[in-house]
Amino acid sequence: MMLETHLRQAATVLLESAIRLAPPDTREWGRAMAGELNHVEGQWAAAMWALGGAGVMVKYALASLLLPGRGGQDMVPDGGLFAKSAPLRKAALAIGGACVLAAILFFAAPPFRQAFGVALRPWFHMYQLASRSFQPGFEALAKRADMLHDPEGLAFCAVRFQDPRESARLAEEAVRLDPKLLWVYAAVAMRNPGLSETQPWVEKLERWDPQNALLHLIAAESIEQANVHRGWWSPPTQEQERAWQNAMAAAFQSPKFDDYLDRVAQLNRRVIPCYGFYDPYEVESRVWIDLPIHAFQNSERFAKSLLHSGEDLEASGDRKGGRDKYWTVARFGQLIDSQGRTGLEHWMGTSLQAMAYRQLQASSQKEGNQSEAALFAYLAAKFDPLEGVHAGFPGESAFGPDISRRNAAVVEISGLMILIFSGLVVLATSILIAGSLRSARPPAELARPVATLVVLTSALGLLFSSVTLYLTYRPYWYIFQSAILSGDRAQTSDLRDFLHDFPMLPGVSPRGYITLLNALVYSGSPSFLFYVWSGVTLLAVSGLALILLRHLLGRPHAHAP
Amino acid sequence: MLERFLERSTDWLYGYELSRETGLKSGTLYPILIRLEKYRLLEACWVATEDGVPPRHTYRLTPNGLELARAKLAEARPRSMVRQPAFCSG
Repeated sequence: MMLETHLRQAATVLLESAIRLAPPDTREWGRAMAGELNHVEGQWAAAMWALGGAGVMVKYALASLLLPGRGGQDMVPDGGLFAKSAPLRKAALAIGGACVLAAILFFAAPPFRQAFGVALRPWFHMYQLASRSFQPGFEALAKRADMLHDPEGLAFCAVRFQDPRESARLAEEAVRLDPKLLWVYAAVAMRNPGLSETQPWVEKLERWDPQNALLHLIAAESIEQANVHRGWWSPPTQEQERAWQNAMAAAFQSPKFDDYLDRVAQLNRRVIPCYGFYDPYEVESRVWIDLPIHAFQNSERFAKSLLHSGEDLEASGDRKGGRDKYWTVARFGQLIDSQGRTGLEHWMGTSLQAMAYRQLQASSQKEGNQSEAALFAYLAAKFDPLEGVHAGFPGESAFGPDISRRNAAVVEISGLMILIFSGLVVLATSILIAGSLRSARPPAELARPVATLVVLTSALGLLFSSVTLYLTYRPYWYIFQSAILSGDRAQTSDLRDFLHDFPMLPGVSPRGYITLLNALVYSGSPSFLFYVWSGVTLLAVSGLALILLRHLLGRPHAHAP
Repeated sequence: MLERFLERSTDWLYGYELSRETGLKSGTLYPILIRLEKYRLLEACWVATEDGVPPRHTYRLTPNGLELARAKLAEARPRSMVRQPAFCSG
C-alpha cells in the first residue's frame, strides 16, 4: 500500500511538472486531468491516470517545440480526429530512414570502410581469445598466394605470420619460387630464433649479405633459444657460451646493420594493392616485424662484458686495449643508431653509446685528461636514452601521441556506437512492423510511439557516429595510402601511435597487442574519454533531432474535421 | 465515446466518467477531447466541487459536435453490423 501511495504521489508530481512544461493554451487540459485525479478510484488507477496525463502534456510540449507557434493543438493524425497516433510518426520515420540511408552510403567510401574495420579491431581481438584463427586475413591471403605461386604474396605473409612453423613454410616456399627474397629468412628467424631452420638460413644469409650485424644477432639468439625447452631455460654449455660470444663479437665488429624494413616496405607496396589487403592494423603494426627485444638484451649483455674486460685490461696497465673495448661498444651503438629505423633500434644504439662514453669518461678522468673527460661526459649525456637530446622516437610525427591516443578513442567509440545504434534501429523497426500488423497484440501497438522515438534518435546517432568516424580516421587513411602507394613514410609514426593506442575497453588504454585478460589485469590509467564522448554523442544527437525536426516539419498536417 | 455523448447529449460529463464508460485511458481520451474542443465540436467548463477539492472540467458536444457524432455513428453502424464476432458459441 505504501508503494502504491508513493507511486501515486510521484505520478501526480510528474503530471504537475508536465503541466508546467506544456504550452500555455494546453495547460488548462493538464489541470483538468489533475482535477479528475482526486476522483479516480484506486492508487494504481490514479497513478496510471496521472502518467497518461503527463504523457499528453509532454507530447504537446514537444509538439510546440518542434512546430513553433502552433502549440501542436491543431495536429490532426492521418486517422482523423479520433485516431490515437500523431502525424509526427511518419515524419520521424522518414528522417530516421534518410539518416540510416546516409550512414549506409558512408560504406561506399574506402576510408570509412577501413576506419570501421580498425574501430572494431579491439573487439575482434577479444573474440580471438575464443577463436582458433588469429590471423584470418593473412591465412586467406596466404592460401591465395599459394594457389597463384606468388613468391611476394607468400613472403608478405611469412613476415607477419604469428605461427612460427607456418611462417617458416611460407618463407621457404617464397625463396624457392624467387631466390631474391632470401632476406625473408632473416625477417622470420629474427622473430623465431628457435626454429630448426635458423642455423642453415643464417649460413645462407651470411653468404648473401656478409657484413650485416643483424644476422649475427639472430645467430646469437638462436644459440640462447637452444637452451629453452618447453618454457624452461637451462644454463648454456661452455661450447654454447663460446659460440654465443663469437656471434656477438662478429655482430659488434660488423660494418653494417640492415633490419630489411625497407624491403618489407617495398613488398607492402607491391602486394597490398595486388591483393586488396588494406588492413593498416596488420600492415603497419611493427610488433611482429620490428627488431625483437632479445636483440637489445643480448647486445647489452655483451656490451657490459666488453666494458668489464676493458676495465680489467686498464687495471692491468693495458690502457689502449681497454679503450679499444669501450670504442667497440660505442661504434656498434653508432651503427645501430644511424642505420636502424625503429624506436627500439634507436634506444639500443643510444643506450650502448651512453654506456661506452661513460666508461671512456672515467678512463680519461683517471688519466687526468679533463678536457677529454668533459667531452665524453657531454656525449654520454647526449646519448642518454632517457634524458639526452636523442631521447624519444626519431620518427616524424605531426599529431603527437596525445592527439593520436584521443583519436583512437574517438574512432573506437564511434565504431561501437554505430553497432549499438544499428542494433537499436533494427530492434525498433521490428517492433514498429509488429505493431502495424493486423494481428498485432495491444503491447506491440502501445510500444509504437517509443519505437518511433528510438528509430529516430538511433538513426541520428548512427549518422553522427558515422560522420565522426569518417572525419577522425580520414587523415590516417591518407597516411596509410601514401605509405603504401608512394612509399612516403612521413607521418607513419602518427599512424602507428594511433593503432597502438587503441583502447581495449572503454576507459582503458593499454598499448599494443594485448588480450582482454591483460586489459583487465593491467588496466592502464582510466580515461574519461569514453564518458565524455558518449555525452557529446547523446547531446549532439538530441540537438540534431530537434534542429532537423524543426526545419523539416515546418508545416504540420492540419485537417479540418 | 461519441455514443456516450449522444446518449446524454444534454449532460455535462467528467473526463474520468468518460474514461470509465469508454475504457479509454487518459493518454488517449484527452488528446481527442482537446481536438474536438479545438474545432468547436465540444464545449468544456469548470464546475466547483466541495471545499478543498479542485474544480472539475466537464464536457458536452456542441450542436455541430452532435451533428458530427450522429453522422459518424450512422456511418459506423452498417459496417459494424456486417462484422462477424471472432468467437461465437453457436
